[in-house]
Amino acid sequence: MQKILAIALLTWKAAFRFRLFLVVAVLLLGAVVGLPLLIKDDGTARGFTQILLTYTLSAITALLGMSTLWLACGTLARDIEDCQIQVVAVKPIARWQIWIGKWLGLVSLNAALLALSGLSVFALLQYRATRLPEAQQQILRNEVLVARGSAREANLDVEIAREADRLLRERLEKNPTSQADLPEVRRQILEQVKAEYQLVQPGYIRQWDIDLSSGRKSLSGQPLFIRIKFNAADKSSSGTFTLMVQAGAPPLAPWRSEALSLAPDTFHEVEVPSSFIGADGKLSIAILNPNDTALLFPLDEGLEVLYREGSFGLNFARGLGIIFCWMALLATIGLASASFLSFPVAAFFSLGLLVITLSSGTIASAVNDGTLMGFNSETGSKGSSVFDLVVIPVFRSILTIVNLAKDFSPVDALSGGRSITWGMLGRAAAQIIGVLAGLFGVFGIWIFNRRELATAQGTQ
Amino acid sequence: MAILAETALSNTVAAQPDKRETIVAVRGLTKIFKDFWGRPKARAVDDVDFEVRRGEVFGLLGPNGSGKSTTVKLLLGLLHPTKGHIEVFGRSPRHVATKARIGYLPEESYLYRYLNSRETLDFFGNLFELSRSDRNNRAEQLLEMVGLNQARLRAVGEFSKGMQRRIGLAQALINDPDLVILDEPTSGLDPIGCREVKDLIVALARRGKTVILSSHLLADVEDVCDRVVIYYGGKIQAMGTLRELLATPDAIRITTPALPRATLERVMEIIRQDVAQDKVHIDTPTQNLESYFLEVVRKARTAAADTSGATSGARVAKYLRGDPEGEAASDRILERLAAPAASAAPDLNPAPAETVDQAKLAALTQPAAPAPEAAVEKPGQAAEPSFDEANDKLSGLLGKKS
Repeated sequence: MQKILAIALLTWKAAFRFRLFLVVAVLLLGAVVGLPLLIKDDGTARGFTQILLTYTLSAITALLGMSTLWLACGTLARDIEDCQIQVVAVKPIARWQIWIGKWLGLVSLNAALLALSGLSVFALLQYRATRLPEAQQQILRNEVLVARGSAREANLDVEIAREADRLLRERLEKNPTSQADLPEVRRQILEQVKAEYQLVQPGYIRQWDIDLSSGRKSLSGQPLFIRIKFNAADKSSSGTFTLMVQAGAPPLAPWRSEALSLAPDTFHEVEVPSSFIGADGKLSIAILNPNDTALLFPLDEGLEVLYREGSFGLNFARGLGIIFCWMALLATIGLASASFLSFPVAAFFSLGLLVITLSSGTIASAVNDGTLMGFNSETGSKGSSVFDLVVIPVFRSILTIVNLAKDFSPVDALSGGRSITWGMLGRAAAQIIGVLAGLFGVFGIWIFNRRELATAQGTQ
Repeated sequence: MAILAETALSNTVAAQPDKRETIVAVRGLTKIFKDFWGRPKARAVDDVDFEVRRGEVFGLLGPNGSGKSTTVKLLLGLLHPTKGHIEVFGRSPRHVATKARIGYLPEESYLYRYLNSRETLDFFGNLFELSRSDRNNRAEQLLEMVGLNQARLRAVGEFSKGMQRRIGLAQALINDPDLVILDEPTSGLDPIGCREVKDLIVALARRGKTVILSSHLLADVEDVCDRVVIYYGGKIQAMGTLRELLATPDAIRITTPALPRATLERVMEIIRQDVAQDKVHIDTPTQNLESYFLEVVRKARTAAADTSGATSGARVAKYLRGDPEGEAASDRILERLAAPAASAAPDLNPAPAETVDQAKLAALTQPAAPAPEAAVEKPGQAAEPSFDEANDKLSGLLGKKS
């Protein structure tokens, strides 16, 4: 361990002596302090705080990510190019220990920089919050500076599929269809059934049954927030639609909102006292659509109940923990590429990987369409190409790997006051560090172990 | 005064089997550098065989690009052989246990430029898992030895080439290695530094350490090496002890203090009875430039001239002498440097001999006289005056540190 720590400490010294630590720290702090002066918000304290969190954490992630990649590529590739590795590798230290030592140095450096910038963001938020009026502070503490758990309606996919199959059978009994059309018929029926579950016709009510029993302990005395998002079939002259919300657990008297005027296609939160939850932790929510237009509440994000689960501080720390996992992955990618490439090529290669990761939306749409040739959503027909036979499975594999890291969105969660659980952090650590960084690390160490280290001539 | 006469003395240097432990064994070693597509680009080392035994100072000699450094890097596991086999301490050179016993000074200063001397030694000490106190002690002794104790807090990147060689040498010795591999160790060093390095090599060898020295500087190799291989074009062109390689079997040299003309005439007359006039040469020996330079510096130092560069190193670090009291028997090597008859240390003020040994002279000029027994002896295995006297002389010569 003494050897590994010596290498890690060397990485720290290099970062300090080359003033990289100082420059990155100043940039990070500049972003944290400077961005609030530049960003535009909706004028509310909540909106400003949400945007502030989003921008500062995104800036920290981007800056730290780039510097991590750069340093990771440089710390190993430069050692090889400048031949210092020749003096180190002939000492009684295994190559994997050199590699791990450098990785440890990088991730500990990242941890320090992330802690420094994270603490600055946290302190800035708390400071700004204390300068707001009490009512605004309360809103912030309830909706943003908090860790809120989420509960949704039970998953209806199986029920919808079963219903679609039943309808298909009935239709087949009435009007026998040729076998070739069956999948398309079933798909259409499925969409129809799904629409029925999502749609609330004018004058109708849709009810959601939410199970809050798991988080009930932390709910006592804390308000609940019903988070709603809907789409409208038509536009309204005012741009908003009226909704009425009722929540409770029969036979107790329910809580009922006043008529709410809400805009479609965006999220709204409605506060409900937690005392209306039933003894078994069940809460039924009904929404009346008094408009003359049908409203659609998407199954995945139409309605959920948010409840206070923990403090913002710890949640923020867990969010930074996930960002740290990303940084550890970038450090691994940088080191792995520097294990077999020269510094500029390694940096280019690593950045290329990063670009592929960030552009995975395009890959995802190709995988969803099942073709590179384009998908006609109106006719449901898709182009075809021999390339698809190879490219789509490759894209699917890439997407699976990329999603191991992209499954987590700590910035969105923090700015939305959503809880990042320990389980989520553990999963992030397992997927991002354990699996992804592990794979890159094993590859990097293997190739570094095989590499001839004395082929480079010194460039000092 | 020296008399060189070509005689019919036969060289009976006999190769005696060396029973010392084999430290490095190289068999059929070949290294071919290839291009990106795997096509052969250069055959740097070509079917090389040699062995290095414990306590030897083994020289790799050859012009630039002859394969010396490649061989060194193969020995260190930094390059992989294309063909052939290398064993160091009976194991692969890449084995951690092997590397723990090796000290390596590369051909250039490949040290971290942002670390200072003290941090550099501490870092490498950590790689050998030395305790903090060991690291501190050894770093202090090494910095003292290489004359960098006044530059301990300066970044290595700010050092002159000579100073970088000194700190490089210090890091190579932090683990008290059993095998020291030095690639062009005197490159960039001033004559005083060169002498110190050579003294150190001899002192290490006296302690049973094995030294492999790669150099194209013939004087370095000649001064310290027991055995050499001479490379050219990646192949070994010659290998053997210096005595084997350099002996001129058909000539002898007699060196005496200045003789009265009459005595000289008598000697010449005896010699001319067996050797033709044109085969006998008489000249006055001159000291070499290195000796002369060292004497000038010694005088300047005595006059206390200031310098802002590296100072001369002090005595060999205690732990390298293998004796915590600093009075190790190995330091008797210093005697060689001070003794008049020693080969490496110049005899600046030779004392005149009292008489010419006529009997020995007569014996040498006898054609049938037996040749001296061949023995591979280190330069330092000459007469051994007291340690203190020798050490004082060296300290005076190189500038003893307080």
